[in-house]
Amino acid sequence: MSDAQSTQTLPSASPVTSSARATRLRFAAFWGLPPLVWQLAFFVVPLGFLVAMTFWSVKSFRLTPDATLANWTFILNAGFFRNAYIYTFWLAGLTALLASLIAFPAAYTLAFRLQPATRRFLIFMLVVPFFTSYPVRIYSTQIFFSPQGIINAALHPLGLGPISVLNSPTGTVIGYLVLTLPLVVLLQTFALMNVPKTLIEAAHNLGCGRLRTILTVIVPSARIGLVVAATFAFVLAFGDYVAPLYLGGSKPPTLSILIADQVKSGNHWPRASVVAVIMILTLVAVMSTMLALAYGRRGAKP
Amino acid sequence: MNEFDDKITDFRALLHPLNRRRFMQGASALAGAAAIGASAVPEPAYAQDKVLNLLSWPGHGDPAFVKPFEEKYGCKVVAKEYVGGEPMLALMNQSPPGTFDVVLADAEYIGMLAQGGLIDKMDPADYPLADYWPEFQKFGPHWVNESLYSVLIRFGYLGIAYRTDVLSEKDVESYKVLWDDKIKGKLGFFDWYLPTMGCLSLYDGNKAPFDISAEAFDKLKKTLFSLKPQASGFYSMADQFSMLTNGTAAAIPGVGDWVVLLLQKNGVPVSATVPKEGGIQWTESMSIVSSSTKKDLAKAFIQYASSPEGQARSAILPSYWASIPNKKGWDLLIKDHPAEAKALRHTFDARNVMDEYKEGKIHIRQTPVKQSIEEWNDVWSEFKSM
Amino acid sequence: MNAALLRRAALLVWTLLVFTFIFAPIVSTIVFSFNADRFPSLPWCGFSLQWYEAVFADASVQRGLVNSLIVAAATSVIATFLGFAAAYVDYRYRFFGKAAYTAIVALPPTVPVVILGVAMLTFEGRIGLSGTLTGVTVGHVVLAAPFAMALVRMRLADLDPDIERAAWNLGATPWSTIVGVVIPFCLPAILASIFLTAAVSFDEFMIAWFVSGVNETLPVRVLAMLQGQVSPRINAIGALVFAVSMTLVVAAQILLGRNSRRSKEPQQ
Repeated sequence: MSDAQSTQTLPSASPVTSSARATRLRFAAFWGLPPLVWQLAFFVVPLGFLVAMTFWSVKSFRLTPDATLANWTFILNAGFFRNAYIYTFWLAGLTALLASLIAFPAAYTLAFRLQPATRRFLIFMLVVPFFTSYPVRIYSTQIFFSPQGIINAALHPLGLGPISVLNSPTGTVIGYLVLTLPLVVLLQTFALMNVPKTLIEAAHNLGCGRLRTILTVIVPSARIGLVVAATFAFVLAFGDYVAPLYLGGSKPPTLSILIADQVKSGNHWPRASVVAVIMILTLVAVMSTMLALAYGRRGAKP
Repeated sequence: MNEFDDKITDFRALLHPLNRRRFMQGASALAGAAAIGASAVPEPAYAQDKVLNLLSWPGHGDPAFVKPFEEKYGCKVVAKEYVGGEPMLALMNQSPPGTFDVVLADAEYIGMLAQGGLIDKMDPADYPLADYWPEFQKFGPHWVNESLYSVLIRFGYLGIAYRTDVLSEKDVESYKVLWDDKIKGKLGFFDWYLPTMGCLSLYDGNKAPFDISAEAFDKLKKTLFSLKPQASGFYSMADQFSMLTNGTAAAIPGVGDWVVLLLQKNGVPVSATVPKEGGIQWTESMSIVSSSTKKDLAKAFIQYASSPEGQARSAILPSYWASIPNKKGWDLLIKDHPAEAKALRHTFDARNVMDEYKEGKIHIRQTPVKQSIEEWNDVWSEFKSM
Repeated sequence: MNAALLRRAALLVWTLLVFTFIFAPIVSTIVFSFNADRFPSLPWCGFSLQWYEAVFADASVQRGLVNSLIVAAATSVIATFLGFAAAYVDYRYRFFGKAAYTAIVALPPTVPVVILGVAMLTFEGRIGLSGTLTGVTVGHVVLAAPFAMALVRMRLADLDPDIERAAWNLGATPWSTIVGVVIPFCLPAILASIFLTAAVSFDEFMIAWFVSGVNETLPVRVLAMLQGQVSPRINAIGALVFAVSMTLVVAAQILLGRNSRRSKEPQQ
C-alpha cells in the first residue's frame, strides 16, 4: 500500500510476450474478481435492493414494487421515528464516550504498566468475549441487574440499593457497554502501545506531570486509535438490537427495534428499509466526521 | 370480517411480486457466484420423509408433548417457533411450499389462512370433537363457509397478571388498577398490540372489543397512551416470566394463566384474573398446511394433539400452560396430574374454567374489524416510543 | 513514592473492575448453567447437570448445532479464500479504483447486522436462497471475508514484495510463485483465518435470524429460546458455544503466535 511497495501494474515494463501477459491478466483476474463479485452480489446489491424497496408499497400485507415516497414521508413524519432516532443517537454517543473514558485507564495500564507477557495474556482475554454468544451475555447481565439479582444482593449488606436499571436507558447503556467495552479497551491499548516511548520519557525529563503527559503527549499522539475506538463503539451501539430489547425493555424502542417491529407487525419491509437506509446514512456521516477529526488535525500539527 | 377478506387471494404472492424464474434468469451471474457456496453446503437432512414440520408458538415441539407421537409413528417433530400472529403470517407466506406440515395458529388468523389457500379443509369426523366441551364443538372462527379448517388444541383467558405481594385480589377487580400509583413504573406489557388493546377496549366499555367505531378507536388510543407513565417495559414472551419473577413488573395486562401458572408452580407470588369488565380468550388451533407433502402424518399429529393423551400433555407444556377443550383430556389430567389440574381449574367438582366462560365475561380475540391491523399496530408503535 | 504506589494501585484496581465487568456475564453463564433452579435467582439452589441433559436431549438444539457447524465450515473455507485473494490483490497490484475495491470488500462489518439481515432476507427471498443454509452461508461469508483479509494482509506486510517480482522477472510464472512462495508464507495466517472466520460464523445470530427460516442455526435457536421461554438451558448452550468458539480462537491464536515468532526470529 505504501509507495515502497511493488507497483506491478499490468502492462509490465519488462519485455514480456503477449501470452505471458495474458497469463498475468488471467492470474490477476483469478484473485481479483471473486472477492469483488461476491461482495458486489451479496453485499452491494442487497443494500441497493434495500434502497429500492423503500419506494415500494405494502397493501394489506402485500408487497408490491412501486415508486412511492409514502414510506419516507410516513417514517420521517412519524413521531415515534423521530423519538427513536434522537434516543438511539444519544445513547450510542453516550456509550462511545463512556466506553472511551472507562476503557482509557485500563488501556493505559495494559500498555504502560504491565509486563509484556501479562499484557499479551490480557489482550488475548479481551478477544474472548467476541466469541461468546452475545445474546447469552446479555441474558446473563439481565440476571445480574434484576431486583433480586447479584448486584442488589451484594449492595444490600452495604446498606445500598436496591438499584433498578432494567427496562431503562441505563439498562440499555449497560448492555451497550457489555458489547463495546472489550473492543474499545483493545483498540485503545493498541493505540497507546504505538505511542513512542521516547516521547513520553522526553515529557517526563522536561518535568511534565503524569496527568499533563497523558493529556498533552499521550492522548494527542494516540488520537487516531482513540477516535477509531470511540467510532466503533458508536457504530456497534447504534445498530444493536439485543441490549435495548432485553435490558432496555424496548422502553423506548431504538431504531433496530423499530426495524424489527415494522417487519413483525405488518410485514412492512419498505418502512423497515427506510429506517435501515437512514441508519446507514447516519453511520456513514458519523464515521467520516470522526475520521476527518482524527486524521485532519494530525496533518495540521507536525 | 375485515378488509383482508376479499383482497387477498394468495398469500404466497406476498413476497414474490416478481416472477421468481424470470428473476433467476436475470440474476444468473449472481447464481453462478452463489453456486460456489451452494455446492459446498448440503441441505439439512431432515427435509426427508419421517419428519413433521410444525410452525407454532414456542414450546410445542417439546419432547414432553411430542415424544409419544414420535415413538408411535417413528418420526421427528421439528418446530419452528414464532411469537405473534403477524410473524406467523409472514413465515407462512415467505417459506417455500412444503416447508411446514402443520401450523398452530391463533383462531383469529384461521380465516385469513383459509382464504389465502394456505391451509386445507378438514373432515370433522377425523377428530374427537364430540369429546370437546359443547362450547368448542363448533367453534366459530374455525369454520369458513361451513367447512372446518382448524382444530382447537388449547385456550386461555387474558386479563391481568399480577404479583400478589403488590396487589390484592380486590385491587385487580377492575382494569382501573392499571393506573394505580402502587404500580407506577411497574406495569409491564406483552409486546403485541392485540391482547393488550383488546383488554383496554373492554375497559373502555366496548361490548365487542375488536369491532369498534372510529370514535371508540380514538378513545382506546387515549386510554392506552395514558398508561405510559405506568410502563416498566415491553417484553417478549420469556421476559414476562423473568420480569414478574424478579419484580420489575408488578402487573401485566392482556396476559393470563399462561404466564402465571408456571411461575406459581415455582413459588413466585403471582396470580391472574379476569376483571369485571371482562377478558379476552386466546386459542391455539392446528391446521394442515396446503403445501404439505405429508398430509397423512399431519392429520395423525392433529389427531394426537386433540386426543386425551395429547391434550393432557399439552395442557402442561414446559414453556407455558393452558386450558384444553377435550373433556376426556380433563379426565386424564385429573388422574395423572391432580395438582396441575387443580391449578388449571380443570376439575368437574369445583368452579372451573368453563364456568367462567359461561358467565359471558370472555370475548374471543379477533383481529380488528373496522380498522386495519396496520392502524392498530401503528398506535402500538407510537405508544412504545412515547 | 507513596503517591506513585497509590496511583499504580488505583490503575490496577480500575483495570480489574473493567475486566470484571467484561467477564462477569461469561462466568455467570457458566456458573448458572449448573444451577438447579429454573428461574435464575439467588440464592443458588444446588448443583445440577439437568440443563446439559436437557440440551443434549433437545432435538432442535442438536439440529441447530449441526446447521451451525455446516455453515461455519463452509463459511470459513469460502471467506478465507476470498479474504486471501483480496489481501493478495491489495498487496500486489495498484490499479484505478483500488480504494473502492478494498472498501467494498472490507466494509460489511461496519454495517449493523440488523440491516444486513433485512437486506439479505429481502434480496435472497427473491433468488430463492432465503430459508436455506446456503443463504445463511452467503451472508456469513460477506461478514467474515474482511476478517480473513485483514489477517492475511497483516502477514503479507512482512513479505518483501521484491521477492515475488524477482521471481516473475526470472521467468517464474505468477502461478508457480504464488503456490511456491506466497501461499506457504501465508499459511499460518490462512489457517488462523479459517478458524477465526468459522468462529465469526458460529456466533453470528442476526443475519442467520432473518435468513435461516426453518433451518435455524444454534445462535438463532438461543435467540428464539430467549424470546420464548425462560430456561437455564440457555446458559448450558452458552457455555457449550463458548467452549467451541474458544477452541477455534485458541487454535487461531496458537497459529498466529507461531507465525509471528517465526517471522521475527530471523531478524533477531
